[in-house]
Amino acid sequence: MKKYWLIFRLSWQNALTYRLNFVMWRVRSIIGFLASYLFWLAIVNSNQNIAGYNPSLLLTYIFVSAFLRNLVLSNVSYGACVEIAGGDLSNYLIKPLGYFKYWLTRDLADKALNLSFFSVEIIIFYLILKPQIVLTQHLWLFLAISFLAALLYFFLSFLISTYAFWHPEHNGWPFRFLFIMLLDFLSGSSIPLDIFPPQIVKIFQVLPFSYLVFYPNQIWLNRVNTNQIINIFLITSFWLIAFYLIFRLVWRRGLKNYSAYGR
Amino acid sequence: MKLKRYLIYWLKTSELTFESLIADKLSSTLFISGKLLRFFFMLGFLLAIKEKIKLVSGYNIDQLVIFFLIYNLFDLVGQLFYRGVYWFRSDILSGDLDFKLVKPINPLFQILTSHTDFLDIPQLFIVVVILIIRLPHVAWQNVLVFSLLSLISMLILTAVHIFVAALGVITTEVDHTIWIFRSLSGMAQVPIDIYSPSVRGFLTFVIPIGLIFTFPAKALYGLLTPALIFWTIGFALVFYYLSLKFWYYSLKTYASASS
Repeated sequence: MKKYWLIFRLSWQNALTYRLNFVMWRVRSIIGFLASYLFWLAIVNSNQNIAGYNPSLLLTYIFVSAFLRNLVLSNVSYGACVEIAGGDLSNYLIKPLGYFKYWLTRDLADKALNLSFFSVEIIIFYLILKPQIVLTQHLWLFLAISFLAALLYFFLSFLISTYAFWHPEHNGWPFRFLFIMLLDFLSGSSIPLDIFPPQIVKIFQVLPFSYLVFYPNQIWLNRVNTNQIINIFLITSFWLIAFYLIFRLVWRRGLKNYSAYGR
Repeated sequence: MKLKRYLIYWLKTSELTFESLIADKLSSTLFISGKLLRFFFMLGFLLAIKEKIKLVSGYNIDQLVIFFLIYNLFDLVGQLFYRGVYWFRSDILSGDLDFKLVKPINPLFQILTSHTDFLDIPQLFIVVVILIIRLPHVAWQNVLVFSLLSLISMLILTAVHIFVAALGVITTEVDHTIWIFRSLSGMAQVPIDIYSPSVRGFLTFVIPIGLIFTFPAKALYGLLTPALIFWTIGFALVFYYLSLKFWYYSLKTYASASS
Protein backbone atom coordinates (compact mmCIF):
# COMPACT_ATOMS: atom_id res chain seq x y z
CA MET A 1 0.00 0.00 0.00
CA LYS A 2 2.90 2.30 0.90
CA LYS A 3 4.40 2.12 -2.60
CA TYR A 4 1.07 3.08 -4.18
CA TRP A 5 0.78 6.05 -1.84
CA LEU A 6 4.25 7.06 -3.03
CA ILE A 7 3.08 6.74 -6.67
CA PHE A 8 0.06 8.92 -5.80
CA ARG A 9 2.34 11.62 -4.37
CA LEU A 10 4.79 11.37 -7.26
CA SER A 11 1.91 11.80 -9.74
CA TRP A 12 0.97 15.08 -8.05
CA GLN A 13 4.58 16.24 -8.02
CA ASN A 14 4.95 15.31 -11.67
CA ALA A 15 1.81 17.25 -12.67
CA LEU A 16 2.79 20.29 -10.63
CA THR A 17 6.38 20.31 -11.93
CA TYR A 18 5.15 21.08 -15.45
CA ARG A 19 2.96 23.95 -14.23
CA LEU A 20 2.44 25.67 -17.57
CA ASN A 21 1.32 22.37 -19.05
CA PHE A 22 -1.13 21.84 -16.20
CA VAL A 23 -2.46 25.41 -16.32
CA MET A 24 -3.03 25.11 -20.08
CA TRP A 25 -4.88 21.85 -19.50
CA ARG A 26 -7.15 23.56 -16.96
CA VAL A 27 -7.72 26.45 -19.40
CA ARG A 28 -8.83 23.94 -22.03
CA SER A 29 -11.14 22.30 -19.53
CA ILE A 30 -12.66 25.67 -18.56
CA ILE A 31 -13.16 26.66 -22.20
CA GLY A 32 -14.91 23.37 -22.88
CA PHE A 33 -17.25 23.97 -19.96
CA LEU A 34 -17.90 27.61 -20.88
CA ALA A 35 -18.54 26.79 -24.55
CA SER A 36 -21.13 24.21 -23.57
CA TYR A 37 -22.72 26.44 -20.90
CA LEU A 38 -22.97 29.51 -23.14
CA PHE A 39 -24.41 27.46 -26.00
CA TRP A 40 -27.20 26.05 -23.82
CA LEU A 41 -27.74 29.43 -22.15
CA ALA A 42 -28.45 30.91 -25.59
CA ILE A 43 -30.89 28.10 -26.33
CA VAL A 44 -32.79 28.36 -23.04
CA ASN A 45 -32.98 32.13 -23.40
CA SER A 46 -35.04 31.59 -26.56
CA ASN A 47 -36.84 28.38 -25.49
CA GLN A 48 -38.17 27.88 -21.98
CA ASN A 49 -38.79 24.15 -22.27
CA ILE A 50 -36.75 21.66 -24.27
CA ALA A 51 -37.78 18.00 -24.02
CA GLY A 52 -38.87 18.45 -20.40
CA TYR A 53 -35.85 20.51 -19.39
CA ASN A 54 -36.53 23.99 -18.04
CA PRO A 55 -33.61 26.49 -18.02
CA SER A 56 -32.46 25.68 -14.48
CA LEU A 57 -32.52 21.91 -15.13
CA LEU A 58 -30.57 22.28 -18.35
CA LEU A 59 -27.93 24.60 -16.91
CA THR A 60 -27.57 22.37 -13.84
CA TYR A 61 -27.05 19.48 -16.26
CA ILE A 62 -24.07 21.34 -17.76
CA PHE A 63 -22.59 22.11 -14.32
CA VAL A 64 -22.97 18.50 -13.13
CA SER A 65 -21.55 17.24 -16.44
CA ALA A 66 -18.49 19.40 -15.88
CA PHE A 67 -18.05 17.80 -12.45
CA LEU A 68 -18.49 14.30 -13.91
CA ARG A 69 -16.06 15.03 -16.72
CA ASN A 70 -13.43 15.81 -14.08
CA LEU A 71 -14.31 12.88 -11.84
CA VAL A 72 -15.22 10.16 -14.34
CA LEU A 73 -13.72 11.05 -17.70
CA SER A 74 -10.41 12.58 -16.63
CA ASN A 75 -7.69 9.96 -16.82
CA VAL A 76 -4.01 9.53 -17.45
CA SER A 77 -4.14 5.76 -17.88
CA TYR A 78 -4.09 6.24 -21.66
CA GLY A 79 -0.34 6.41 -20.99
CA ALA A 80 -0.48 2.60 -20.69
CA CYS A 81 -1.21 2.53 -24.41
CA VAL A 82 2.01 4.45 -25.13
CA GLU A 83 4.03 2.18 -22.83
CA ILE A 84 2.69 -0.98 -24.47
CA ALA A 85 3.30 0.41 -27.97
CA GLY A 86 6.82 1.63 -27.14
CA GLY A 87 7.88 -1.49 -25.25
CA ASP A 88 8.22 0.36 -21.93
CA LEU A 89 5.75 -2.07 -20.38
CA SER A 90 8.73 -4.43 -19.91
CA ASN A 91 10.13 -2.09 -17.23
CA TYR A 92 7.03 -2.66 -15.11
CA LEU A 93 6.63 -6.38 -15.69
CA ILE A 94 9.92 -7.08 -13.91
CA LYS A 95 9.15 -4.82 -10.95
CA PRO A 96 7.29 -5.89 -7.77
CA LEU A 97 4.43 -3.66 -8.80
CA GLY A 98 0.92 -4.36 -10.11
CA TYR A 99 0.74 -2.58 -13.45
CA PHE A 100 -3.01 -2.30 -13.21
CA LYS A 101 -2.87 -0.93 -9.66
CA TYR A 102 -0.08 1.43 -10.70
CA TRP A 103 -2.29 3.10 -13.33
CA LEU A 104 -5.33 3.01 -11.06
CA THR A 105 -3.31 4.95 -8.47
CA ARG A 106 -2.08 7.43 -11.07
CA ASP A 107 -5.62 7.88 -12.31
CA LEU A 108 -6.88 8.51 -8.78
CA ALA A 109 -4.14 11.09 -8.25
CA ASP A 110 -5.06 12.80 -11.52
CA LYS A 111 -8.75 12.86 -10.65
CA ALA A 112 -8.02 14.25 -7.19
CA LEU A 113 -5.82 16.98 -8.66
CA ASN A 114 -8.33 17.90 -11.36
CA LEU A 115 -11.22 17.90 -8.90
CA SER A 116 -9.41 20.14 -6.43
CA PHE A 117 -8.81 22.75 -9.15
CA PHE A 118 -12.27 22.23 -10.59
CA SER A 119 -13.86 22.94 -7.17
CA VAL A 120 -12.30 26.39 -7.09
CA GLU A 121 -13.10 27.10 -10.75
CA ILE A 122 -16.73 26.03 -10.46
CA ILE A 123 -17.32 28.22 -7.40
CA ILE A 124 -15.88 31.21 -9.29
CA PHE A 125 -18.07 30.48 -12.32
CA TYR A 126 -21.11 29.96 -10.14
CA LEU A 127 -20.55 33.39 -8.60
CA ILE A 128 -20.03 35.01 -12.01
CA LEU A 129 -22.76 33.24 -13.98
CA LYS A 130 -25.28 32.96 -11.11
CA PRO A 131 -27.31 30.11 -12.62
CA GLN A 132 -30.33 28.63 -10.83
CA ILE A 133 -28.89 25.30 -9.74
CA VAL A 134 -31.18 22.36 -8.99
CA LEU A 135 -30.07 20.64 -5.77
CA THR A 136 -30.23 16.88 -5.57
CA GLN A 137 -32.26 14.83 -3.14
CA HIS A 138 -29.95 11.85 -3.65
CA LEU A 139 -26.47 13.19 -2.90
CA TRP A 140 -25.05 9.90 -1.56
CA LEU A 141 -26.56 7.88 -4.38
CA PHE A 142 -25.15 10.38 -6.86
CA LEU A 143 -21.66 10.10 -5.32
CA ALA A 144 -21.90 6.30 -5.24
CA ILE A 145 -22.95 6.02 -8.91
CA SER A 146 -20.25 8.55 -9.90
CA PHE A 147 -17.66 6.37 -8.17
CA LEU A 148 -18.90 3.29 -10.04
CA ALA A 149 -18.91 5.26 -13.30
CA ALA A 150 -15.29 6.36 -12.71
CA LEU A 151 -14.30 2.74 -12.17
CA LEU A 152 -16.24 1.64 -15.26
CA TYR A 153 -14.46 4.27 -17.35
CA PHE A 154 -11.11 3.13 -16.02
CA PHE A 155 -11.75 -0.45 -17.19
CA LEU A 156 -13.10 0.76 -20.51
CA SER A 157 -10.12 3.02 -21.08
CA PHE A 158 -7.64 0.33 -20.09
CA LEU A 159 -9.36 -2.10 -22.44
CA ILE A 160 -8.89 0.44 -25.26
CA SER A 161 -5.19 0.68 -24.34
CA THR A 162 -4.74 -3.06 -24.96
CA TYR A 163 -5.32 -2.35 -28.66
CA ALA A 164 -1.64 -1.37 -28.72
CA PHE A 165 -0.63 -5.00 -28.10
CA TRP A 166 -1.78 -5.81 -31.63
CA HIS A 167 -1.43 -2.40 -33.32
CA PRO A 168 1.38 -0.34 -31.79
CA GLU A 169 1.35 2.14 -34.69
CA HIS A 170 0.83 5.79 -33.58
CA ASN A 171 1.07 4.57 -29.94
CA GLY A 172 -2.34 2.94 -30.28
CA TRP A 173 -3.89 6.39 -30.65
CA PRO A 174 -6.22 5.75 -33.68
CA PHE A 175 -8.54 3.39 -31.78
CA ARG A 176 -8.55 5.69 -28.75
CA PHE A 177 -9.42 8.63 -31.02
CA LEU A 178 -12.47 6.74 -32.28
CA PHE A 179 -13.36 5.82 -28.69
CA ILE A 180 -13.11 9.47 -27.55
CA MET A 181 -15.36 10.61 -30.40
CA LEU A 182 -17.97 8.02 -29.41
CA LEU A 183 -17.62 8.82 -25.74
CA ASP A 184 -17.89 12.56 -26.20
CA PHE A 185 -21.34 12.21 -27.63
CA LEU A 186 -22.78 8.95 -26.27
CA SER A 187 -21.87 9.69 -22.64
CA GLY A 188 -24.10 12.76 -22.74
CA SER A 189 -21.33 14.96 -21.38
CA SER A 190 -22.36 17.97 -23.47
CA ILE A 191 -25.88 17.05 -24.65
CA PRO A 192 -28.66 15.52 -22.52
CA LEU A 193 -29.35 12.27 -24.35
CA ASP A 194 -33.12 12.26 -23.73
CA ILE A 195 -33.46 15.25 -26.06
CA PHE A 196 -33.26 12.71 -28.89
CA PRO A 197 -36.28 10.73 -30.15
CA PRO A 198 -37.34 7.81 -27.85
CA GLN A 199 -36.16 5.14 -30.33
CA ILE A 200 -32.62 6.54 -30.23
CA VAL A 201 -32.73 6.94 -26.43
CA LYS A 202 -33.47 3.18 -26.19
CA ILE A 203 -30.20 2.51 -28.05
CA PHE A 204 -28.33 4.82 -25.64
CA GLN A 205 -29.82 2.86 -22.71
CA VAL A 206 -28.22 -0.41 -23.75
CA LEU A 207 -24.78 1.11 -24.36
CA PRO A 208 -22.35 1.51 -21.43
CA PHE A 209 -21.40 5.11 -22.32
CA SER A 210 -24.61 6.73 -21.04
CA TYR A 211 -23.92 5.33 -17.55
CA LEU A 212 -20.77 7.43 -17.30
CA VAL A 213 -22.32 10.90 -17.35
CA PHE A 214 -25.96 10.97 -18.44
CA TYR A 215 -27.53 8.66 -15.85
CA PRO A 216 -25.50 9.91 -12.86
CA ASN A 217 -26.62 13.38 -13.99
CA GLN A 218 -30.26 12.25 -14.05
CA ILE A 219 -29.92 11.07 -10.44
CA TRP A 220 -28.59 14.49 -9.43
CA LEU A 221 -31.45 16.22 -11.25
CA ASN A 222 -34.07 14.06 -9.45
CA ARG A 223 -35.43 13.00 -12.84
CA VAL A 224 -35.48 9.27 -12.02
CA ASN A 225 -37.65 7.36 -9.52
CA THR A 226 -36.47 4.71 -7.04
CA ASN A 227 -36.97 1.81 -9.47
CA GLN A 228 -35.03 3.60 -12.17
CA ILE A 229 -32.21 4.38 -9.72
CA ILE A 230 -31.99 0.68 -8.82
CA ASN A 231 -31.88 -0.16 -12.53
CA ILE A 232 -29.10 2.37 -13.15
CA PHE A 233 -27.04 0.84 -10.33
CA LEU A 234 -27.66 -2.70 -11.59
CA ILE A 235 -26.79 -1.92 -15.20
CA THR A 236 -23.68 0.08 -14.24
CA SER A 237 -22.54 -2.81 -12.01
CA PHE A 238 -23.21 -5.27 -14.83
CA TRP A 239 -21.06 -3.24 -17.27
CA LEU A 240 -18.38 -2.83 -14.62
CA ILE A 241 -18.08 -6.58 -14.06
CA ALA A 242 -18.38 -7.34 -17.78
CA PHE A 243 -15.60 -4.94 -18.75
CA TYR A 244 -13.41 -6.11 -15.91
CA LEU A 245 -13.70 -9.72 -17.10
CA ILE A 246 -13.21 -8.76 -20.76
CA PHE A 247 -10.22 -6.64 -19.80
CA ARG A 248 -8.58 -9.54 -17.89
CA LEU A 249 -9.08 -11.87 -20.82
CA VAL A 250 -7.77 -9.39 -23.39
CA TRP A 251 -4.84 -8.38 -21.16
CA ARG A 252 -3.67 -12.01 -20.82
CA ARG A 253 -3.90 -12.55 -24.55
CA GLY A 254 -2.19 -9.23 -25.16
CA LEU A 255 0.72 -10.15 -22.92
CA LYS A 256 1.19 -13.36 -24.93
CA ASN A 257 1.31 -11.26 -28.07
CA TYR A 258 3.58 -8.60 -26.54
CA SER A 259 7.06 -8.53 -28.02
CA ALA A 260 8.38 -5.24 -26.61
CA TYR A 261 8.50 -3.34 -29.90
CA GLY A 262 10.78 -0.35 -29.81
CA ARG A 263 13.06 -1.71 -27.07
CA MET B 1 9.89 30.63 -60.42
CA LYS B 2 9.74 31.04 -56.65
CA LEU B 3 6.10 29.94 -56.66
CA LYS B 4 7.03 26.81 -58.64
CA ARG B 5 9.66 25.92 -56.03
CA TYR B 6 7.08 26.24 -53.25
CA LEU B 7 4.56 24.17 -55.20
CA ILE B 8 7.09 21.39 -55.77
CA TYR B 9 8.01 21.44 -52.09
CA TRP B 10 4.36 21.24 -51.01
CA LEU B 11 3.57 18.47 -53.50
CA LYS B 12 6.57 16.45 -52.34
CA THR B 13 5.81 16.74 -48.61
CA SER B 14 2.12 16.02 -49.29
CA GLU B 15 3.04 12.95 -51.31
CA LEU B 16 5.20 11.66 -48.44
CA THR B 17 2.40 12.26 -45.93
CA PHE B 18 -0.07 10.49 -48.19
CA GLU B 19 2.25 7.50 -48.56
CA SER B 20 2.61 7.20 -44.79
CA LEU B 21 -1.19 7.30 -44.44
CA ILE B 22 -1.87 4.56 -46.96
CA ALA B 23 0.91 2.44 -45.46
CA ASP B 24 -1.23 2.15 -42.32
CA LYS B 25 -4.75 1.75 -43.67
CA LEU B 26 -6.36 0.56 -40.44
CA SER B 27 -5.19 3.64 -38.49
CA SER B 28 -6.30 5.96 -41.29
CA THR B 29 -9.73 4.26 -41.39
CA LEU B 30 -10.13 4.64 -37.62
CA PHE B 31 -9.17 8.32 -37.75
CA ILE B 32 -11.56 9.05 -40.62
CA SER B 33 -14.36 7.13 -38.86
CA GLY B 34 -13.82 9.17 -35.68
CA LYS B 35 -13.93 12.45 -37.58
CA LEU B 36 -17.10 11.45 -39.45
CA LEU B 37 -18.79 10.26 -36.26
CA ARG B 38 -18.10 13.62 -34.56
CA PHE B 39 -19.53 15.46 -37.56
CA PHE B 40 -22.66 13.33 -37.94
CA PHE B 41 -23.35 13.30 -34.20
CA MET B 42 -23.46 17.10 -34.10
CA LEU B 43 -25.45 17.32 -37.31
CA GLY B 44 -27.85 14.70 -35.95
CA PHE B 45 -28.21 16.67 -32.73
CA LEU B 46 -29.11 19.87 -34.60
CA LEU B 47 -31.68 18.00 -36.69
CA ALA B 48 -33.06 16.22 -33.60
CA ILE B 49 -33.80 19.48 -31.78
CA LYS B 50 -35.48 20.96 -34.84
CA GLU B 51 -38.93 19.87 -33.62
CA LYS B 52 -38.27 20.92 -30.05
CA ILE B 53 -37.01 24.48 -30.43
CA LYS B 54 -38.13 27.23 -32.74
CA LEU B 55 -35.46 29.89 -32.77
CA VAL B 56 -32.07 30.48 -31.15
CA SER B 57 -31.35 34.21 -30.95
CA GLY B 58 -33.37 34.78 -34.12
CA TYR B 59 -31.86 31.90 -36.12
CA ASN B 60 -33.90 28.83 -37.03
CA ILE B 61 -32.37 25.34 -37.00
CA ASP B 62 -31.94 25.21 -40.80
CA GLN B 63 -29.82 28.34 -40.59
CA LEU B 64 -27.85 26.89 -37.66
CA VAL B 65 -27.12 23.83 -39.81
CA ILE B 66 -25.69 26.07 -42.56
CA PHE B 67 -23.51 27.88 -39.98
CA PHE B 68 -22.36 24.50 -38.68
CA LEU B 69 -21.48 23.30 -42.20
CA ILE B 70 -19.54 26.46 -43.00
CA TYR B 71 -17.71 26.18 -39.68
CA ASN B 72 -16.68 22.66 -40.71
CA LEU B 73 -15.65 23.85 -44.15
CA PHE B 74 -13.11 26.39 -42.83
CA ASP B 75 -12.04 24.25 -39.90
CA LEU B 76 -11.26 21.34 -42.24
CA VAL B 77 -9.47 23.47 -44.82
CA GLY B 78 -7.35 24.97 -42.01
CA GLN B 79 -6.44 21.52 -40.70
CA LEU B 80 -5.88 20.12 -44.17
CA PHE B 81 -3.20 22.67 -44.99
CA TYR B 82 -1.81 23.71 -41.60
CA ARG B 83 -1.66 20.39 -39.74
CA GLY B 84 2.14 20.76 -39.63
CA VAL B 85 1.95 23.06 -36.60
CA TYR B 86 0.87 20.04 -34.50
CA TRP B 87 4.32 18.52 -35.11
CA PHE B 88 6.23 21.73 -34.51
CA ARG B 89 6.90 21.28 -30.77
CA SER B 90 9.30 18.39 -31.34
CA ASP B 91 11.25 20.53 -33.83
CA ILE B 92 11.75 23.23 -31.19
CA LEU B 93 12.66 20.80 -28.39
CA SER B 94 15.13 18.86 -30.51
CA GLY B 95 16.56 21.92 -32.25
CA ASP B 96 15.53 20.50 -35.63
CA LEU B 97 14.07 23.89 -36.47
CA ASP B 98 17.65 24.76 -37.50
CA PHE B 99 17.25 22.57 -40.57
CA LYS B 100 14.16 24.48 -41.60
CA LEU B 101 15.78 27.87 -41.03
CA VAL B 102 18.72 27.17 -43.33
CA LYS B 103 16.67 25.92 -46.29
CA PRO B 104 15.89 28.30 -49.18
CA ILE B 105 12.16 28.03 -48.44
CA ASN B 106 10.32 30.17 -45.93
CA PRO B 107 10.50 28.28 -42.57
CA LEU B 108 6.92 29.24 -41.76
CA PHE B 109 5.75 27.62 -44.98
CA GLN B 110 7.69 24.47 -44.11
CA ILE B 111 6.32 24.35 -40.54
CA LEU B 112 2.68 24.94 -41.37
CA THR B 113 2.36 22.81 -44.49
CA SER B 114 4.63 19.90 -43.58
CA HIS B 115 1.81 17.39 -42.91
CA THR B 116 -1.09 17.90 -45.31
CA ASP B 117 -3.92 16.07 -43.58
CA PHE B 118 -5.56 13.96 -46.26
CA LEU B 119 -7.70 12.28 -43.62
CA ASP B 120 -9.88 15.41 -43.57
CA ILE B 121 -10.75 15.10 -47.27
CA PRO B 122 -13.64 12.57 -46.93
CA GLN B 123 -15.37 14.80 -44.38
CA LEU B 124 -14.64 17.90 -46.44
CA PHE B 125 -16.27 16.25 -49.45
CA ILE B 126 -19.36 15.32 -47.39
CA VAL B 127 -19.60 18.84 -45.93
CA VAL B 128 -19.48 20.42 -49.39
CA VAL B 129 -22.14 18.05 -50.76
CA ILE B 130 -24.52 18.62 -47.82
CA LEU B 131 -23.88 22.36 -48.04
CA ILE B 132 -24.82 22.40 -51.73
CA ILE B 133 -27.97 20.36 -51.01
CA ARG B 134 -29.14 22.38 -48.02
CA LEU B 135 -28.11 25.86 -49.06
CA PRO B 136 -31.13 28.00 -49.87
CA HIS B 137 -31.14 30.20 -52.98
CA VAL B 138 -28.44 32.81 -52.49
CA ALA B 139 -28.06 36.04 -54.45
CA TRP B 140 -24.88 36.22 -56.56
CA GLN B 141 -23.77 39.36 -54.70
CA ASN B 142 -23.83 37.37 -51.45
CA VAL B 143 -21.84 34.54 -53.05
CA LEU B 144 -19.28 37.13 -54.14
CA VAL B 145 -18.96 38.58 -50.62
CA PHE B 146 -18.82 35.03 -49.21
CA SER B 147 -15.93 34.21 -51.57
CA LEU B 148 -14.05 37.35 -50.56
CA LEU B 149 -14.58 36.69 -46.85
CA SER B 150 -13.52 33.07 -47.34
CA LEU B 151 -10.13 34.32 -48.50
CA ILE B 152 -10.03 36.68 -45.53
CA SER B 153 -10.90 33.73 -43.25
CA MET B 154 -7.96 31.78 -44.61
CA LEU B 155 -5.69 34.80 -44.05
CA ILE B 156 -6.78 35.06 -40.40
CA LEU B 157 -6.48 31.28 -39.94
CA THR B 158 -2.94 31.48 -41.33
CA ALA B 159 -2.16 34.32 -38.91
CA VAL B 160 -3.53 32.31 -35.96
CA HIS B 161 -1.28 29.37 -36.86
CA ILE B 162 1.69 31.73 -37.18
CA PHE B 163 0.93 33.11 -33.69
CA VAL B 164 0.79 29.55 -32.32
CA ALA B 165 4.11 28.67 -33.98
CA ALA B 166 5.73 31.86 -32.65
CA LEU B 167 4.42 31.20 -29.13
CA GLY B 168 5.84 27.70 -29.50
CA VAL B 169 9.32 29.06 -30.22
CA ILE B 170 9.17 31.35 -27.16
CA THR B 171 7.55 28.97 -24.64
CA THR B 172 8.04 25.51 -26.27
CA GLU B 173 4.29 25.09 -25.74
CA VAL B 174 2.36 24.35 -28.92
CA ASP B 175 -0.06 21.49 -28.35
CA HIS B 176 -2.19 23.13 -25.68
CA THR B 177 -2.19 26.49 -27.48
CA ILE B 178 -3.52 25.03 -30.70
CA TRP B 179 -6.05 22.92 -28.78
CA ILE B 180 -7.23 25.97 -26.85
CA PHE B 181 -7.80 27.66 -30.20
CA ARG B 182 -9.64 24.56 -31.44
CA SER B 183 -11.81 24.49 -28.29
CA LEU B 184 -12.60 28.18 -28.67
CA SER B 185 -13.30 27.83 -32.37
CA GLY B 186 -15.80 25.09 -31.47
CA MET B 187 -17.95 27.91 -30.09
CA ALA B 188 -18.40 29.08 -33.70
CA GLN B 189 -20.17 25.86 -34.68
CA VAL B 190 -23.17 28.10 -34.14
CA PRO B 191 -23.29 31.82 -35.05
CA ILE B 192 -21.47 33.82 -32.38
CA ASP B 193 -24.45 36.22 -32.30
CA ILE B 194 -26.19 33.81 -29.93
CA TYR B 195 -23.69 34.62 -27.16
CA SER B 196 -23.77 37.59 -24.80
CA PRO B 197 -22.24 40.88 -26.11
CA SER B 198 -19.06 40.49 -24.02
CA VAL B 199 -18.42 36.94 -25.31
CA ARG B 200 -19.25 38.06 -28.84
CA GLY B 201 -16.78 40.94 -28.52
CA PHE B 202 -14.08 38.56 -27.26
CA LEU B 203 -14.70 36.15 -30.15
CA THR B 204 -14.56 39.00 -32.66
CA PHE B 205 -11.83 41.36 -31.47
CA VAL B 206 -9.51 39.26 -29.28
CA ILE B 207 -9.57 35.73 -30.72
CA PRO B 208 -11.20 36.44 -34.10
CA ILE B 209 -13.11 33.18 -34.35
CA GLY B 210 -16.26 35.00 -35.35
CA LEU B 211 -14.49 36.60 -38.31
CA ILE B 212 -13.15 33.24 -39.46
CA PHE B 213 -16.28 31.13 -39.16
CA THR B 214 -19.40 33.21 -38.58
CA PHE B 215 -18.87 36.24 -40.84
CA PRO B 216 -18.60 34.30 -44.15
CA ALA B 217 -21.80 32.42 -43.28
CA LYS B 218 -23.54 35.66 -42.41
CA ALA B 219 -22.40 37.06 -45.75
CA LEU B 220 -24.25 34.22 -47.49
CA TYR B 221 -27.46 35.37 -45.82
CA GLY B 222 -26.69 39.02 -46.62
CA LEU B 223 -26.46 39.86 -42.92
CA LEU B 224 -23.23 41.88 -43.09
CA THR B 225 -23.14 45.61 -43.70
CA PRO B 226 -20.47 47.00 -46.10
CA ALA B 227 -18.84 48.71 -43.10
CA LEU B 228 -18.44 45.35 -41.33
CA ILE B 229 -17.00 43.76 -44.48
CA PHE B 230 -14.37 46.51 -44.84
CA TRP B 231 -13.64 46.35 -41.13
CA THR B 232 -13.07 42.57 -41.38
CA ILE B 233 -10.66 43.01 -44.28
CA GLY B 234 -8.75 45.73 -42.40
CA PHE B 235 -8.62 43.65 -39.23
CA ALA B 236 -7.36 40.59 -41.13
CA LEU B 237 -4.54 42.55 -42.77
CA VAL B 238 -3.40 44.07 -39.47
CA PHE B 239 -3.72 40.72 -37.67
CA TYR B 240 -1.65 38.98 -40.34
CA TYR B 241 1.00 41.70 -40.23
CA LEU B 242 1.23 41.45 -36.43
CA SER B 243 1.50 37.66 -36.58
CA LEU B 244 4.51 37.96 -38.91
CA LYS B 245 6.10 40.58 -36.64
CA PHE B 246 5.58 38.24 -33.68
CA TRP B 247 7.09 35.33 -35.60
CA TYR B 248 10.27 37.28 -36.40
CA TYR B 249 10.47 38.42 -32.78
CA SER B 250 10.13 34.80 -31.61
CA LEU B 251 12.99 33.70 -33.85
CA LYS B 252 15.26 36.12 -32.01
CA THR B 253 14.55 34.17 -28.79
CA TYR B 254 15.19 30.76 -30.39
CA ALA B 255 18.20 29.17 -28.68
CA SER B 256 18.55 26.11 -30.93
CA ALA B 257 18.66 23.96 -27.78
CA SER B 258 19.51 20.24 -28.17
CA SER B 259 20.66 20.66 -31.75
